[in-house]
Amino acid sequence: MDELTREFLIESQEGLDRMERCLTDLEERPQDAELIGDIFRSVHTIKGTTGFLGFKRLEKLAHAGENLLGLLRESKLTADRPLITGLLQLLDGLRSILKTIEAEDNEGEGDDAVLIANLEELQLPAQAQAKQPVHARAGGQAASAPPLPRPPAKVKPAPPAASAPPPLAPAPALPALAPAQPAEAVEAPAPGAKAPSAPEGDAPRQRVQTAGSAAESTLRVDVSLLNRMMNLVGELVLTRNQVLQATSADPGMTLLSRRLDMVTADLRESVMKARMQPVSNIFSKMPRMVRDLSQALGRRVRLEVEGQDTELDKSLLEAIKDPLTHAVRNSLDHGIEPPEARVAAGKNPEGILKLRAAQEGSHVIIEVSDDGAGIAVEKVRQKAIERGAITAGRAVHLGERELLQLIFLPGFSTADAVTNVSGRGVGMDVVRTNVEKIGGKVEIDSRAGKGTTLRLRIPLTLAIIPALIVRSVNQSFALPQGALSELVHISSEQAATAIEWIENVPLYRLRGKLLPLVFLDRLLMPGVEHKAASERDNFIAVLDPDGRRFGLVVDGLADPEEIVVKPLSAVLKDIGLFSGATVLGNAELALILDPGAIALKAGVAMREEEPACAVEGEPGAGAVKGLEYLLVEAGGHQAAVPLTDVLRIEQVPLKRIEYIGYRPVLNFEGQLLPVEDSGGVLAALEGNPEAQIIVVVCREGNRHVGIAVSHVLDVAAGGDLFQAGTAQRTGGVTLLKNRVTGVVDLGGVAPLAAGDEAPAAWNRMEETLA
Amino acid sequence: MSTATVALHGKEKAAATLVEMCTVRLGNTVFGVPITHILEIVGAARPRPVPLAPVFVGGLVHYRGDVLTTVSLRQLLGLPPREGRQDLLVLENPGGIFGLLVDSVGEVLTVSSADHEPNPSILNERRRALFAGAYKLKDSLLVMLDPEQLEPMRLSAGRAA
Repeated sequence: MDELTREFLIESQEGLDRMERCLTDLEERPQDAELIGDIFRSVHTIKGTTGFLGFKRLEKLAHAGENLLGLLRESKLTADRPLITGLLQLLDGLRSILKTIEAEDNEGEGDDAVLIANLEELQLPAQAQAKQPVHARAGGQAASAPPLPRPPAKVKPAPPAASAPPPLAPAPALPALAPAQPAEAVEAPAPGAKAPSAPEGDAPRQRVQTAGSAAESTLRVDVSLLNRMMNLVGELVLTRNQVLQATSADPGMTLLSRRLDMVTADLRESVMKARMQPVSNIFSKMPRMVRDLSQALGRRVRLEVEGQDTELDKSLLEAIKDPLTHAVRNSLDHGIEPPEARVAAGKNPEGILKLRAAQEGSHVIIEVSDDGAGIAVEKVRQKAIERGAITAGRAVHLGERELLQLIFLPGFSTADAVTNVSGRGVGMDVVRTNVEKIGGKVEIDSRAGKGTTLRLRIPLTLAIIPALIVRSVNQSFALPQGALSELVHISSEQAATAIEWIENVPLYRLRGKLLPLVFLDRLLMPGVEHKAASERDNFIAVLDPDGRRFGLVVDGLADPEEIVVKPLSAVLKDIGLFSGATVLGNAELALILDPGAIALKAGVAMREEEPACAVEGEPGAGAVKGLEYLLVEAGGHQAAVPLTDVLRIEQVPLKRIEYIGYRPVLNFEGQLLPVEDSGGVLAALEGNPEAQIIVVVCREGNRHVGIAVSHVLDVAAGGDLFQAGTAQRTGGVTLLKNRVTGVVDLGGVAPLAAGDEAPAAWNRMEETLA
Repeated sequence: MSTATVALHGKEKAAATLVEMCTVRLGNTVFGVPITHILEIVGAARPRPVPLAPVFVGGLVHYRGDVLTTVSLRQLLGLPPREGRQDLLVLENPGGIFGLLVDSVGEVLTVSSADHEPNPSILNERRRALFAGAYKLKDSLLVMLDPEQLEPMRLSAGRAA
């Protein structure tokens, strides 16, 4: 394919993309002359250039479209729905021919007669309107015969045709002679096919010019070149670090190296910026899809888009295209109800689908929300039990949020029953997998009857991931933090008892549950004598890749680092334990461990209750396994505080506890905190001003309360207790470490009442507290 | 020395072509690598070992923003490992770039194809695949290495076969 054709393809593609956007906009604002002008220009440019390149089929089709658009531009036609549908079909037709050209370097054999006939039919209303009924247009060639009596409407689309070979062009190269021709149109034919700026009056022409200058100031760059630049910049950063170190003693060099430092940082940022693209690149595809789908499904939908300028690395943008498309499809198919149902539910018959993009720190958030029916949580619950994803007993305790997470389970959502009744979930696991592949997260939020919001959290760049640097076999390795759930340190003295063995399988009791251990050194260097666990410090990184939970034992931990992932050569990828390599801040090379592959290699199986575990891995879904509690001791009794309510644990001197009347309070960060002392901790220490007490600061509704305790013991998952006989869940107590433990009733902590003889200055605060 | 050889042969056989070779030393043997394949020579490289990698892999080195897999010529030829630093040749092949670890890099020689002889038949099979004959120098032999045969992927395929 020659350069000219390739350029033509790229340009036409862009033109058609623009046309698509304009067409969907046009449906909203059918009178917008600017939009029509834009659309006309896109088609016109294609037609003009094809004449040059000799793509007859493309030209014929473009020409038919152009005629129709010409009438539209002259307001001889109105942009009603059938017309826009026709134009969209034209768009698709042009696209498919372009695709064939790209693939095969010729236009292919397809027949566009039906499409063209349709486009001509759409012109009929305008022709009927015209004063002098020249219907020859529909008839094709004959139309070219009487150029002079042609009404002005016919003249305008003509100039572009000047470039086209005559046989099929109804308006021949005579426009300049037409007496009705406006002055501007007269000069236009001169530049001929090369000039994409069709004569359209002053305003549009100016816009064409600005568009042209924008094109001049931008440049197409191969992505691989950008990748290379990014690599080199990374290299420069490392070299800079070394230079900075080497020259730190020399005052003469300080200025120079500081300058190098600055320039490098700037350069790095610029190169990263060069890879960024606005999300509008994918958002702009949505209006068309929403239009087509909502028509096909009989929905009335308004699409609202926000934050189009938010930028994202190009490769990531590509990666989220499919999940996003899927999410939008889901919203239309299952979220937004048919108009009648909406009216019946007291809603506006027109549903709203909202796409929102925004940057939050080092992530970009992309939200797809609808005001549809939402997900029927109960149905999800039933279905989950039916499918055996969770047990009935467990399902009872799952909150809405946890239940919603179930729709991400692989296979769960593909079942027709869930799709039909719950109205959501086809292939949601695919959405999640795709997003997680690029280090992102998916969250879902749904209110029955109110709508659903799907939130994708995407990291800004793909190449940089947070990782914990661990040490083993005298080397550093990077452990991606995505799969890491916690770290446990076992000193050499503890190791003998803490690590238990079944035959030669090491295990560790993590909060009462056995966790299989994998010693990294033994895995990496089999057949070599390694120090026994009791001869060294052991760090267990508890990993949970794809529901395979295990502890990876390493010799040491270093700081977490944001690492730049570099690919490994095929021969090292084949080892199967490493997903890449990276250069650490100290210029040391480190291999990146692949937790999933390690689990496989070490033979760690999926846990039995795998689906539920997969849910556990979800952020914010920790509560699935029952609430977690902070276990505290107060005055000889143990009590539990729901961990989600705990804000802070503060150690304060006893003398900081003050009293309003008889009630102990703590001035905590300028706010007055009522301190609950049902355990008698304060009373026990009275008269000992040096004593320290521990106050657990909790959230209760929208106020904060403190609980005085003598010790904080542990964090543990609570089990529910059922009253014998009734099988009713009992409130106020939980099973913690196999002991029935009372849960502190935070709501029962009385608010500070205004009557409590409070010092006047504190009155205001009390009000805010209460 | 080399120019003398070339001059001599240049007079005798006008058809002979001249090639530039970078000499590398490994133990007592001098090997030659065509300089057209060499991107860069890095002195005193410190490759990072890769656990569980095939034996011929010398480790990873950081090269211009990329992480490069290296082939250790010593380990490839089954020679005992050597203490201390090694030099690194960065080689380019159609399949990509990789590193070759050698004891030391010497000079660049211009040799004439007229002095080339194929591998002797008594050379063991493994070496016959890696070497591309030898050039007769005035007082020694320059054993040719074939960069394409040294590709890590090809080596691992060869081992598996």
